[in-house]
Amino acid sequence: MIPSHYSPEEARGIWLYLEQEDGRLLPVARELLGKGRQLADSLGVPLTGLVAGKSVAHLAAEAIADGADEVIVAEHPLLEPYTTDTHTKAVTEAVLGGKPDILLIGATTNGRDLAGRLAVRLRTGLTADCTDMTLDPGTGLLLGQVVGFGGGVVASIKCERHRPQMATVRPGVFPLPVASPSRRGGVKQLPVTLSEQDLRIKVLERESRRGAGITSAELLVIGGRGTRGDFSLLRQLADALGAEVGATRVAVDNGWADHEQQVGQTGFITRPKLAIVLGASGALQFTVGIADAETVVAVNADEEAPVFEAADYYSVDDLFQLLPPLIREIQSNRGKALVGQR
Amino acid sequence: MGEDDEPLTLDDALWDRIVQITSGAAAACYQCGACTAVCPWGLVRSESINVRKLMRRSQLGLQGGNGAADPWLCTTCGYCKALCPRGVDIPGVIHSLRREAWRQNAVPKGLRSLLWDVHWDGNPWGQPPSQRFAWARGLDLETFGPNHDLLFYAGCSASYDRRLQKVARALVAILRAAGVRFGVLGEAEPCCGEGVLAVGNDEYLEEIVAANTRLFREIGARKVMTVSPHCFDIFSSHYTVGEEFRPVHYTQFLAELVSGGRLPPLAIDPLVVTYQDPCYLGRKHDIYEQPRSVLQAVDGLELREMDNNREQGLCCGGGGGRMWMETPAQERFALLRVKKAAATGAQVLATACPACLACLDDGLKVAGEESMRVMDIAEIVEMGLVPALEPVAQGAMR
Amino acid sequence: MNRSLHTIVCLKVVPKPEEVRIDPESLTLDRAHARSEINPSDMNALESALALKDRYGGTISLLAMGPTLFEPFLRVALAMGADCAYLLSDRAFGGADTLATSYTLAAGIRKIGPFDLVLCGEESSDGATGQVPPGIAEWLGVTQVTYATELSLLSGRWWLRARRDFSSGHEIVTTPLPAVVSLRSRCNEPRFMDMDRRAWARTGSVTVWSAQDLDVDPEMIGLSGSATVVAGTQEASKRDRRREALKGSIDERAHALAEIIRPYIDGQRAAAQQF
Repeated sequence: MIPSHYSPEEARGIWLYLEQEDGRLLPVARELLGKGRQLADSLGVPLTGLVAGKSVAHLAAEAIADGADEVIVAEHPLLEPYTTDTHTKAVTEAVLGGKPDILLIGATTNGRDLAGRLAVRLRTGLTADCTDMTLDPGTGLLLGQVVGFGGGVVASIKCERHRPQMATVRPGVFPLPVASPSRRGGVKQLPVTLSEQDLRIKVLERESRRGAGITSAELLVIGGRGTRGDFSLLRQLADALGAEVGATRVAVDNGWADHEQQVGQTGFITRPKLAIVLGASGALQFTVGIADAETVVAVNADEEAPVFEAADYYSVDDLFQLLPPLIREIQSNRGKALVGQR
Repeated sequence: MGEDDEPLTLDDALWDRIVQITSGAAAACYQCGACTAVCPWGLVRSESINVRKLMRRSQLGLQGGNGAADPWLCTTCGYCKALCPRGVDIPGVIHSLRREAWRQNAVPKGLRSLLWDVHWDGNPWGQPPSQRFAWARGLDLETFGPNHDLLFYAGCSASYDRRLQKVARALVAILRAAGVRFGVLGEAEPCCGEGVLAVGNDEYLEEIVAANTRLFREIGARKVMTVSPHCFDIFSSHYTVGEEFRPVHYTQFLAELVSGGRLPPLAIDPLVVTYQDPCYLGRKHDIYEQPRSVLQAVDGLELREMDNNREQGLCCGGGGGRMWMETPAQERFALLRVKKAAATGAQVLATACPACLACLDDGLKVAGEESMRVMDIAEIVEMGLVPALEPVAQGAMR
Repeated sequence: MNRSLHTIVCLKVVPKPEEVRIDPESLTLDRAHARSEINPSDMNALESALALKDRYGGTISLLAMGPTLFEPFLRVALAMGADCAYLLSDRAFGGADTLATSYTLAAGIRKIGPFDLVLCGEESSDGATGQVPPGIAEWLGVTQVTYATELSLLSGRWWLRARRDFSSGHEIVTTPLPAVVSLRSRCNEPRFMDMDRRAWARTGSVTVWSAQDLDVDPEMIGLSGSATVVAGTQEASKRDRRREALKGSIDERAHALAEIIRPYIDGQRAAAQQF
């Protein structure tokens, strides 16, 4: 094997690439800070955040409050918006200078875009989309837990002789840290030399959307005939979860939802992490639309409803009876989780 | 007059091809328009779809267009052919146009995926092949062998659709009650290919038929009983396995059992039933009386006929690959059909086809019809076997 | 431009996810009894290539790294409309992580010759890393566009215009060719095989290259070239749905449901929708 650019002996510290957009840290960046702090404490090494963009110095204080000991700030107009080449260059320079032991990146589309290229440039190992991370008790090596084969297999991956040990981390797995504004830390400006030549990708247009659309939704609340046309509780549930709202064919036929929201054979095939199906009986033509969902929860008043066969968890209930207490509890949980948020 | 916007430019090569693949079937058409008048699409839309024009365009070697009926709407119900004064095989012409569309990769959304699902998963629903036999969990069925008189071919819909699995299980109960020695193919049961045929990819169908023919010959399949009339139809019309290969639809087989006295007496609490003639049993194969004789063998069952029965049967809308295409609610034939069924005062709308069952069930939902439910003949007969068997909870059908 | 568009599509043959088991004794993956298919998003990549060929002409070469059992699957792809196929097959390639895999595929691409586009699926259904396309781009020193949903070429110049997804939305980017692109799963509906072509595809050209045929450093391929190793595997929760009924009073059921839902909620997600 060809070695990486520096050896394990030279490597020290945990670094986090903190993805930001329009001057705000992405949620996954904060999740990394929380988990990173824990790992850094276990290893007794510093936790360093790396932020790149046009004007991002103000994010250093936030990162420190969330647990970073030091923040490296890379600022340049060509670093905004994110494109592969400029960020790969900046991060490579920083890493070769600082020689971290571990480098973690949030597994967003851009995070994975960056990490895949970076790992080859750095000649190191990369573990993708970790759903958990631990440290090997003997060696202190990072163990990344990943899910493969459509969720059927869980594997533990390590990177023994190459540095930095890289991993991308699935968003939403680790909890948000509780910010401590009184924490102290250092800020370093990384000198960035970039020119138009370094930029091969030109971003012509960028559109952030409010709703994900059901086909890319990670959380989906789906209503069927049992809603009897009243989707208001479903929308409340969806809002509480940050989920999209889908519908069965019957619901769309009756005008209770748009065709854009139709889940199923003649509608859309969805692939959410969680699908909550309310008041739908679950004909085959519908269930093919959620067959790839990681977890399916079904609620239907009919105990013989076929949808229960396609569910991981189910409740024989009238959704109008079950939803109010459910929504209350979720809202209350959410309130508790947001306590630490700025 | 003034119908066509511009002079037609005819492509000789395309004309040759259309004539060839339709076997010149459109040639006999003398443009009387009867097909357009009887096509069920005219019942659900403000205007009939112009089937006559589609035949005219085919005569000219054109693939439709300019107001001609969309060939992808056809459910292959066959009503047009039945009433055509010249016996033009209109569904056949339409099928050939679909076949040509595949060569041009110009087919509606969802149909390519249908074929890929058949190719990778062995069923048109994209369901895991390893789950094909899950419907038979706990039934202890035997793999078909030389000691069996019957091969029970469940088919993809009954294997995977939760609602239809009940039909398959009902048939198992009935066959056992009659002491029939039957076997199944289990997870190795192949897709018959009817979905592929329905959407017009004859070339791919050839591959499927060849592989399945080899299998049926290897295992020595003789009498094969299907759940779906579509599977029955394709086995009868498109498979040449051998002299002894005899596909039957389950209603034919049950009719044999009934007339042969091989079933215990069938009795249910009084129930008014009406019957939907599936196009692929009725118009396609003239199987009208056997399903009725089975129903009438159930004591307590009163059979009432709907308007438009037998040769005049109204299609449920599911044939011709329409199960994989979207139809707006107000345009579904089944909506009309369930209203006709309800008009008989029947409590149960019986049928003998998975597509009919799914479409009519959907029709009841859309119509908001709570007084009636759809059941398959097999389920009714199984009910009639009670208390000889484990009871099927009456009224527990969805 | 005189030269015609040459697109290389990387394919992987994967076991059907629901059929993969962990061998309880060796604790390694047992794929032997699983049926296989072409990785679904690679089918989308191939369809993108075919659509570009329909529009702009040119040729499509398929490239895969794996055992000879991949061959019939490459022939399916040829029947869809690709022109030729290359299979990198050698025991020495085995056990590769994404670093070694992307290195090997890049070497295969160099051997195939000049190209305008390399298209891949966004990730494979087995490993699901999504790391190979950016890796290939880096080894080849060319630009990359990941998670693309629509592609077109800017006429007159050899530039790619792509619509791509990112976490909170989508963007339109342009980049000069040659480029490596990964296609989002389900971004299109792959055309079915052309049955006229099927017969040709059965005997058509599939070139098999071993490690010796490629210009590769043996230290960089297969297990030797891998920087990551699998420390352990286990079967996750049953692929079959759990079908677990919630019990108790209605409040207890609501509570149980809230607990099931809790790990899926990202508390910040609602706030993030301000982006």
